Amino acid sequence: MSKEIAHWLDNLLEEIEGIKVRRKSSRRVRVDVPADALPALLELLQGRAGYIHLSAISCVDWIEEEEFELVYHVWSYESHSLVSAHIRIARDPGVYLSVYDLYQPAAFFERDIHEMYGIHFEGSPNMEKFILTEWNGPPPMRKEFDSEAYINEHLSWQNYNPEWLQELIAEGGGIIIPPEEQRFSQKKK
Amino acid sequence: MSSIKQIPVIEEKRTNPLARVFDELVRFCRSRSLFLLHYCTGCGAIELPPAMTSRFDMERLGIQPMVSPRQADILLITGYVSIKTLKRVILTYEQMGSPKYVIGICSCTVNGGMYWQSYATAKKLDEYMPVDLYIAGCMPRPEAVIEGLQQLMQRIKTGEAKGWEDYYRNYDYYLGNQQKLFGNDWQTPTDVITEAKHYDLLGEGTLGEHTALLEQHQQPLEALEMRLGHQVKEPAE
Ligand code: SF4
Repeated sequence: MSKEIAHWLDNLLEEIEGIKVRRKSSRRVRVDVPADALPALLELLQGRAGYIHLSAISCVDWIEEEEFELVYHVWSYESHSLVSAHIRIARDPGVYLSVYDLYQPAAFFERDIHEMYGIHFEGSPNMEKFILTEWNGPPPMRKEFDSEAYINEHLSWQNYNPEWLQELIAEGGGIIIPPEEQRFSQKKK
Repeated sequence: MSSIKQIPVIEEKRTNPLARVFDELVRFCRSRSLFLLHYCTGCGAIELPPAMTSRFDMERLGIQPMVSPRQADILLITGYVSIKTLKRVILTYEQMGSPKYVIGICSCTVNGGMYWQSYATAKKLDEYMPVDLYIAGCMPRPEAVIEGLQQLMQRIKTGEAKGWEDYYRNYDYYLGNQQKLFGNDWQTPTDVITEAKHYDLLGEGTLGEHTALLEQHQQPLEALEMRLGHQVKEPAE
């Protein structure tokens, strides 16, 4: 039964132009679509395939490619499967359409992404601050935001360098991770 | 100021020959009956239930959880303090009646712990309020918590736990750090300076440039309007 649905779903998805479907397992499908085809895809999935639950929208900042990746995860209670629709939008100006009229929970996810990445969703009911109500800096999840520089400017450290730790470091132990391996802001270009 | 040992001990003149005996008795009683307000900010709070309940049982030390800051003696900060939470922690601390003690549990309260790089968490708790005792660890086991509480009791008994006096004597320093983080228009509903006068703890560091800044924009506190029953506010025209 579920095999049938899967097969039928694959056929359905082929109706959309420029789509790339990768079936990860019997219950997970990854699709990559051009940004302007996403509303049509979601409408199709919701209206004809029973993917009525938008479980999350996630965002990835690909700063080197100057793009944001938005991933819409939709779940079907009938075929018990998840479709993740990936799109890429330009980092600048970072504007995209809201899917609030299709999935109402999108309002929260879009508001959250707006706050963390600064992407503006046209047609979303509320783009105000959500969790970071007392934050006035730039959107903190953008890769160009240097968290470490920020804390060095605003906060200070306890001076804690006990002898036992120095002994460990002298023997080559301790936790030593060079900053350039760890921090995006200091990575060599 | 960050270390307990640096707090100057001010010797008062007492005329009653029995005063010291009373002091000692009061301190002993104080250390044997502590109410604990656990402000569970972070993951370290998970070690508190075993510390409170039958396995380790902090009640045998005379320490009991309390529900409101007004009635509590110890403020227990269990874990990382985000900057948003820190504001609430300070409000809670100022609402507590003196004498009050602060314990910072977890490495996160000492130095940011594993959130050292995060823009959202405060690093040194003792910049914003005096901390009497830190219990480091990620997270400290209930044994360590009990040990720490015992140490605090000992310090109260000998009169060393004087962090709360330090808050009044050096209010300007703490307020300055708070303003640096929250902006210059930061104001709490508690009038700490008047309280300092009340406790006779007005020190050299109580007033300064930061409190002057506070006075410039300080709004006088007003009592909340009293209403009976449940009323829906009419929207303004
Ligand atoms: S020290 Fe560890 S256990 Fe405690 S709040 Fe920080 S991360 Fe959590």
